Amino acid sequence: MKTYKMPKNVFPDFIELIKTKGKLFGPVKQKSKYSFEEIKNLQELDFDYQRTIMGVKKFLTPPKYKTLTFDKEGTKDIIDEPETNIVIGVHPCDIHAVKILDRLFLGNIKDPYYASKRENLIIIGHSCLPDDKCLCQSTGTDMVEDGFDLFLTELADNYLVWVGSDKGLSLTIAAGELLTEEISDEDIQEYVRWQQKRSSMFKTVMPSFKYMADIITLNYDSEAWEQFGEKCLSCGTCSLVCPTCNCFNVDDKILMNAEGGFRERMLDSCTLPYYSMVAGDHDFRPDRTTRLKLYYTHKLKEYIGRWGQPGCVGCGRCVTYCPVDINVITVSEALFGEVCETKEVCE
Amino acid sequence: MWKRDEKKPVVGIFGFSGCAGDQLAILHMEDSTVDFFTSADIKFFHMAQSHQEVPEVDVAVIEGSINTERQLKELKEIREMAGVVVALGTCACYGGIQYLGDDEETFKERMKYVYGKSGETPEFLDLVGQPKPAQPISDFIDVDIMIPGCPVSEENFVPIYTKLISGLLPQKYPMPVCVECKYEGNDCFLLHGKFCLGPVTAAGCNATCPSLDISCVGCFGTYEGANYPSMIDKLKEIGLSEEDAIRKLKMFGGNKVEQALKGD
Repeated sequence: MKTYKMPKNVFPDFIELIKTKGKLFGPVKQKSKYSFEEIKNLQELDFDYQRTIMGVKKFLTPPKYKTLTFDKEGTKDIIDEPETNIVIGVHPCDIHAVKILDRLFLGNIKDPYYASKRENLIIIGHSCLPDDKCLCQSTGTDMVEDGFDLFLTELADNYLVWVGSDKGLSLTIAAGELLTEEISDEDIQEYVRWQQKRSSMFKTVMPSFKYMADIITLNYDSEAWEQFGEKCLSCGTCSLVCPTCNCFNVDDKILMNAEGGFRERMLDSCTLPYYSMVAGDHDFRPDRTTRLKLYYTHKLKEYIGRWGQPGCVGCGRCVTYCPVDINVITVSEALFGEVCETKEVCE
Repeated sequence: MWKRDEKKPVVGIFGFSGCAGDQLAILHMEDSTVDFFTSADIKFFHMAQSHQEVPEVDVAVIEGSINTERQLKELKEIREMAGVVVALGTCACYGGIQYLGDDEETFKERMKYVYGKSGETPEFLDLVGQPKPAQPISDFIDVDIMIPGCPVSEENFVPIYTKLISGLLPQKYPMPVCVECKYEGNDCFLLHGKFCLGPVTAAGCNATCPSLDISCVGCFGTYEGANYPSMIDKLKEIGLSEEDAIRKLKMFGGNKVEQALKGD
C-alpha cells in the first residue's frame, strides 16, 4: 500500500480535483446532527464529527429506492447508477461496515442493485478521535487496512494519504504535485504519537466483548431479554441507524392509472411486528422480547459463526440514538453482568 | 405478465363524521386525480360529483367516525353492498380527535353542557339522527383495510387503493413514524428531551413533521407495535405528567390507546 503526504494548505485544491471525478459527499453539521451530504463548497465539510445518523449504507442500500418498473409492455430493471459518488470523511468503523455489506451483497449471490452502487462509490476515509460511545477498540474495528480507496490521517500540518485501491491510486496520480512521497522521520514520529494518543482516549472498553458470542450462548435464557423487551419501543431506530443492518422489504406499487407501476425496496427492521411472519400468517416472533433477542444474537453471535467477526463495528450509533437505552453496550453488560458471581470477576 | 380485469371495479367514496379532509386529499392528488376517475368506476363520491348511484360497490372507501344512529344504519348498509371495505383516515380507523371514550352517562353530561341544562337534544338533530359518542367504523362492521392519516397521504393511499382496484392484496406491514424519520435521516426529538409521539404512531406520512423540525403529534393514529407503557415512561422522563402523556396519546390514538391502556 502506497502512502503519501499532503500539506493541509493544498487540501482545498485536492477537494476541487476530487469534485471533477464525481459527486462529492461528506460530513455536514445540521443543527444537532451530522449527515453525509453533497458538498457544494469546502466550508460545509466538517471532519470534526463523531458519527452521522446514517452510515455509508445510505449510498449502497438506500432507505427507499426503485428497482424495477412495469407496465403493459413488460418489466424494466433499474440497475444502472450512472453517476460516481465520492464520499469523504468516512471513519474506520464505517469502512468496516461497508466491508461487511460487501461480503453479504457481493458474495456467492451478487445483488445487482448493490453491485452497481458499490462500483460507482469511491470511499475516502478520515481519521477520528473517539468519544465515550465509540466501542470500536473492543470490536476490533478501530483500525482499517482495506475497504477504502483513499484514507486521510490528519496530523498537525499534514495529511498522511493511504492508498487502498486502484481507484485511489488513480486519484493520487491525478493529484500529482499536491502529494509527496517524502515522509520524514518527524512525520512518522508524529503519526506514532497521534496513534498512541488516540488509543488512550477510548473510554468505553469492554474486554468481555471478545467472548460475547459465548456469553450469549451460555446465558441464552437470560431474564435480561424480558426486561429489555418491556422497555423496547419497537421503533426500528437501532437497525436503521446501524451501519451493517441491511434487511429490506420489497413491495410492488401500482400507479393511480392502474396500468403500470414500480417495485420498491426499503430498509426493514427485525424489531418491527410481522418481520418474522410467514405464509399462513404464522409469526415466529410476535413479541418484542423475541425480536430484540433475534437482533442481538444475530449481530453479536451468529455473525461470528458465519464470518468470524461480530456484525457490530462499534460506531456507537445505537448507543446514541435508541430512545430507551437498549444498545450493544447495555445489552452486553446485562448479559455479562448476570453470569458474574462477583464484581471482581466481571472486571 | 400481470394484467388487471377488463371490467373496471365499482368504487364508492363515503363520508361520515370528520372534516372530509381525506376525501379532499384524494381530489388534491393533482397529478393522479384524472387517473383516479378513469381507473375505476366511481359511482358514489359526494364531494366530487353530483350524481350518486349505489346498487353495490366492489370497493367502499369510508371516511369519518360514526356518531349518530342514522350514520350507523347507513354504515351497515354500505357493508352489506360492498365487497371490500376500506377505512380511510384516522377518524374512520380509530375514531379520530372526536373519540372521547365516553360512556352513556358522560355523554349525556356533555350534551347537557353543550345544548343547555335540560339535556334534551334539539329538534334539528332529527335531520341527521340522534347523536351518540363518536366511534371508529370498525366498532360496528368488519373493516378489511385501514389507511390512517389526518389526512391520508398520497404515498400511503395510492399503493393500497390501486392494489384493491386491481384485484390484488395490499401488503400489511405496520411501522412507526420513527422508521420513516430515519429514512429521512432526522435526529430524534426524544433524545433532546423534547416531546414526540413517533414511536407509537403509524407511519405513512414520510415523517413530514419531524423532517420540518416539528414533533410528531400522532395524527396517523396508533402503530400496531406501539409500547404505550414504555412510551409513557419516556414522556414522563422528559417532563410530562402521566395525565398529560395519556391525554396527548389519546388525542389521535382513539379507541386503540384506550384499549391498550386498559391492557386489552
